[in-house]
This record gives sequence, structure tokens and C-alpha cells, in this order.
Amino acid sequence: MEDQKPQDQAPFGQQPFGQSPFGGAPTPQPKNWLVESILVTLFCCLPFGIAGIVNAANVNSKYAMGDYAGAQAASAAAGKWTKIGFFCGIGVGILYILFFVVLGMGGALMNR
Amino acid sequence: MKLKYILGLIIAVVLAVVYYKFNPEVYHFFPECPFHKFLHLDCPGCGSQRAINALLHLNVAKAIDYNLLLVMSIPLLLMQLSVKVYAYFTQQAIVLNFWHKPITPKIIFALVMLFWVARNIPFKPFNYLAA
Repeated sequence: MEDQKPQDQAPFGQQPFGQSPFGGAPTPQPKNWLVESILVTLFCCLPFGIAGIVNAANVNSKYAMGDYAGAQAASAAAGKWTKIGFFCGIGVGILYILFFVVLGMGGALMNR
Repeated sequence: MKLKYILGLIIAVVLAVVYYKFNPEVYHFFPECPFHKFLHLDCPGCGSQRAINALLHLNVAKAIDYNLLLVMSIPLLLMQLSVKVYAYFTQQAIVLNFWHKPITPKIIFALVMLFWVARNIPFKPFNYLAA
């Protein structure tokens, strides 16, 4: 699927093809946002969490193939989608509560 | 850094108390999923709030009825949480290797998509998954 790109890699970054870099990996794996994506999928109820999971898959597989720049980019994308999902969820929750407070106060005033 | 954790803990405790005391099935001030509201279909997270209420009342069967995926993910999430807490207090850089395997997100993605489709199929073996 992905071609090995020998240019701009860390000096010890070139893995023999098809071998995973466990043990003495030159750069630590970037944050893959997988747990956060799962939480967003389950609790914020917006399909943005799924975009986060897909990007988390990209982080892991690109890192395992030695494509560190690609893994970094996928990590940034995963973080972006997870945060969008998280803030959408919070926003919907707050709007909903505000709506309820306004309705409740309106009802209380009407019933006087 | 510490303030963040203390705030998080306070919010978690408040939410737990709210979800313990008020059943989202009965009280209607809980936010409704926009996906469900406008499309009248269940998303992978639909039923989570009722499932949390059931779990806090230790009723696992009812929680599974509302959202199987949530109940299945709880052991994983608890494991991750305990590793994080342990790493924080012992100042060690331990992580669960499992999350960094290339296959893990793929399996999770497949499970979520299957669950999303299956719970919207409106007849028998599948409609048990609906929220």
C-alpha cells in the first residue's frame, strides 16, 4: 500500500521492509488519540469519533512501517477530529441545558 | 497539570451523581443525540446515558440492552485509566502496548461500524442491539 520513502527519515529510521520497529525505535510513536476517539464515539454521540479512530489506525500502521512523517500527520488529523467531536458534544449539551432553563423559566412566568 | 486532574475528578463525580439520581428514561432534561433527533436512527453512542444510569445502579443486563458497545468498552477503558493513574503516581512511563499495535484501531473500527449498522436493522436478532 504505502511505499517506503527513503528521503527525509531519521538516521536510524529505515526499517527493512515488512519488519516492525519494536526495540530501539528512533522516535517515539506520536499520540494516536485512540482512547479519546472511542470516548467521543460513545459519549458525544457524533460520528466524528469514527474519523478519529480511522486516523488512529493510520498513525499505528504508518509508524509500524517506518513512515514517521506520515504518522505525525495522521496524529494531527486524529487529534483534530477528536477535538471537533468533543466540543460539538459539549456544545450540544450546553445548548440543550440552556434551552431547558429558558423553557422552564418561561413556563414558570406563564403559570403565575 | 494537577489542577486539570482535580477539575476532571470533580466533574466526573458530579456527573456520576447526576446520572445515578436521575434516570434519563424518566427525566427529559438530558441532551438528546442530534443524529437520533433528526434522522431517527441510532448512532454507536445512542443509549449511553441510560446505560450509564443502569451501570451505576449495577444493572449490567439493562446497560447491555441500551448500549452493548459501551459495556464492552468499559473493561478496556478502566484498564487504560488504571495504567494512567499508576504511571502518574509512580512517575513511570508505562503505556499499554496494545493501543499501538496496527491491528487494534482496525478491529475497533470494524466493531463500531458493524454495531452501527446492526442496531438499525429493524427485525429480530438485530433489534436487541437498538438503544
